[in-house]
Amino acid sequence: MPFLQRTLPLIIAFVAGALGIITFYVPDMEAFETESATWYRVIFAFSMVLGIHSLLNMHWARIRRQEAGWGFSAVTWIGFGLMLLFALYNNGSGPFAPLDLKRGGMVWMYDHIQVPAGSTMFSLLAFFIASAAYRTFRARTVEAAILLVAAVIVMLGRVPIGAFISEALPTMSQWLMTTPNMAARRGILIGVSLGAVATALRIIFGIERSYLGEESD
Amino acid sequence: MESDLGPQTSSRDRLIFVVFVGAFALINGGLILSGRLPTNWDGLGLILAAGISLALYSFLYEDNALFKFAEHLYVGVVAAYEVAQVWYQNILTDVFNPLFRPAAEVGPEWVVLIPTLLGLFLMTRLVGRGVWLSRLSIAFIVGLGSGLVIPRRIASFILQQIGPTMQPLWTDGSFAIDAFLILLGVVSVLVYFSFSFEHTGVVGGVSRIGIWFLMISFGASFGFTVMARLSLLIGQLTFLLEDWLTLDLPLW
Amino acid sequence: MDRLLNIDRRYIFIAVFVGVVLPLLIGFDLPIKPTKNVRAMYDTIEGLNPDDGDTVFISFDFGPSTITEMEPMARALLRHCFRRGIRVIGVTLIAEGVGIAQNLLDDTAAEFGSQYGRDYVFLGFKAGNEVLILNMGQDLPGTFPTDIKGNALESLAVTRDIKSLRDMDYVIDIASGYPGVDEWIQFGQERYRFPFAAGCTAVMAPDFFPFLQAEQMNGLMAGLGGGAEYETLIGRPDKAVAGMRPQSVGHLVIIMFILFGNVAYFAGKKNRS
Repeated sequence: MPFLQRTLPLIIAFVAGALGIITFYVPDMEAFETESATWYRVIFAFSMVLGIHSLLNMHWARIRRQEAGWGFSAVTWIGFGLMLLFALYNNGSGPFAPLDLKRGGMVWMYDHIQVPAGSTMFSLLAFFIASAAYRTFRARTVEAAILLVAAVIVMLGRVPIGAFISEALPTMSQWLMTTPNMAARRGILIGVSLGAVATALRIIFGIERSYLGEESD
Repeated sequence: MESDLGPQTSSRDRLIFVVFVGAFALINGGLILSGRLPTNWDGLGLILAAGISLALYSFLYEDNALFKFAEHLYVGVVAAYEVAQVWYQNILTDVFNPLFRPAAEVGPEWVVLIPTLLGLFLMTRLVGRGVWLSRLSIAFIVGLGSGLVIPRRIASFILQQIGPTMQPLWTDGSFAIDAFLILLGVVSVLVYFSFSFEHTGVVGGVSRIGIWFLMISFGASFGFTVMARLSLLIGQLTFLLEDWLTLDLPLW
Repeated sequence: MDRLLNIDRRYIFIAVFVGVVLPLLIGFDLPIKPTKNVRAMYDTIEGLNPDDGDTVFISFDFGPSTITEMEPMARALLRHCFRRGIRVIGVTLIAEGVGIAQNLLDDTAAEFGSQYGRDYVFLGFKAGNEVLILNMGQDLPGTFPTDIKGNALESLAVTRDIKSLRDMDYVIDIASGYPGVDEWIQFGQERYRFPFAAGCTAVMAPDFFPFLQAEQMNGLMAGLGGGAEYETLIGRPDKAVAGMRPQSVGHLVIIMFILFGNVAYFAGKKNRS
């Protein structure tokens, strides 16, 4: 079994990786590149289901064990069940017809639960960023002072009130973004890319195996 | 204003909860009776959306049951939506239809069975004994993903970035200060992130310049992050004021 | 001073809330000057020719969590395209974006009497992230044999003659995370060399300036401010422009807190020493 459990996956990773690289350089392999990319998409779709199963399983375990707050896990399951029911009902067309995105229970729940909840969750961060900035943003060192000055210039320069205060603010803000910020980002981009390429090569050559999980699996 | 967990604070919190829910009910009653909110599914949807938004905002006071309820409902609804999209947009169109409802002139596309099988192998992670099968699928995805990344990353994020960094420093007889700063910034940041040698002497000096460039960049990031978070807050408050409370907000 | 530094954070929340709500309720003028990066996008679309069937491909890669920042810029962009009679093909790489993208396209098209199939098409969503970009770059009808309504691509005027992303006159990614601009550049623009621009959340914008300078993209709209600039350029102020009032005051409030926090900190430090 060690061949099937450890060696075969490494061979598959090497072959798939090598083909992924070769298809970039060989023009006649475009059809193969398309087909393998399609395979990737199909397998990836199944992996999304795996993630959702993990989430629901966690909440189910809480309900089964009657842990503190299990009622909220029941709310998660109810929300999931209702939404999935409406999705499969598909406004009467059923699960084998194209999805109706204009009418139906699923659209109603999307517009009146998912969209406002998602927006609100992220908008909470505005309050926390203000609180965190007040408590911790201190110009204790030269570097921190540079950070603070840059932040203030950009915050004023990117909104209309900056031009109202001084015409120099939008100009300075734009220059900060296109020159020193751009240079730093490029340095980070090149460095991160070199690291990513090195990691990808390690995976293809079987040096990096953490993605395969535990030996006992 | 920080709450302890004593019974007196608990009864104050209960009072706040009752006032909050009561005020929400009264406002909605007023909006419906005055005709500003329709008495149909749209109206109910607006009330639900506003209620969920306010329940989530109640976290700013402190963590509470209303917030947890809204949060858990959101999680369940999103999960089902993702499953629906994966079914309709991927499995149905890429697997089911090509196999069981193919175009007459093409016939069933049997080759799609291979990725389907690999996808089902992934599901074996849910079962104890067959979990080694999932490694074959993971190896394919990870291997192919790694192979796809290497040449493209090198081309777009390394090679195409080096050329524009090496701009002429003298143009039309004058010193191009921006080009010099860009070159200095990129090199000094790369030196800063090189940990294979000690940052002392000249290397230490260049590394320090790199830190200054990074601080400007992080300051810019902070400014843009504040902008982004405030934008989201503006959007939600606009929804509550304009769509729910039906106030006429001035456009400009 | 220590008490001021340790003030209950809920007072700060109230200040932020007031700083954002009051400008929403009170109208006042603030000039908006479009930046070079937004103007470049506008000029590119202005330069497209509807009589030649020029087509803009837009990837709506954002969900409900960032709809406030992204929807105004997407809407302004679509208004510009539909007003000029430029064809639009829409897609999304994230599942949560399907409903938003569909509504945006239909609602904006209705303002100009643009017809589905003749003036715009929405392909929908498929899982696969950057690999989907690769697929579309090589064979668009093969990747999406039908649009989201089940119509074969060859039956629609907009997509009849489109073979791949190479046939697009302008590709714009409106993205709030992954997959997004990085993936479109690596797997799309670098390989197929189509003219490319992006709209993104303000958080991500600083990361993309290297691509602008390297001319891998020719334009960038950043957050609500970018949307406000584009609305100003097309002469149709809407939610993004209206949002600039509370945005400006909100920024001032946070800057005041930062400066006050520093003054209180250094004053307290001086007293202690």
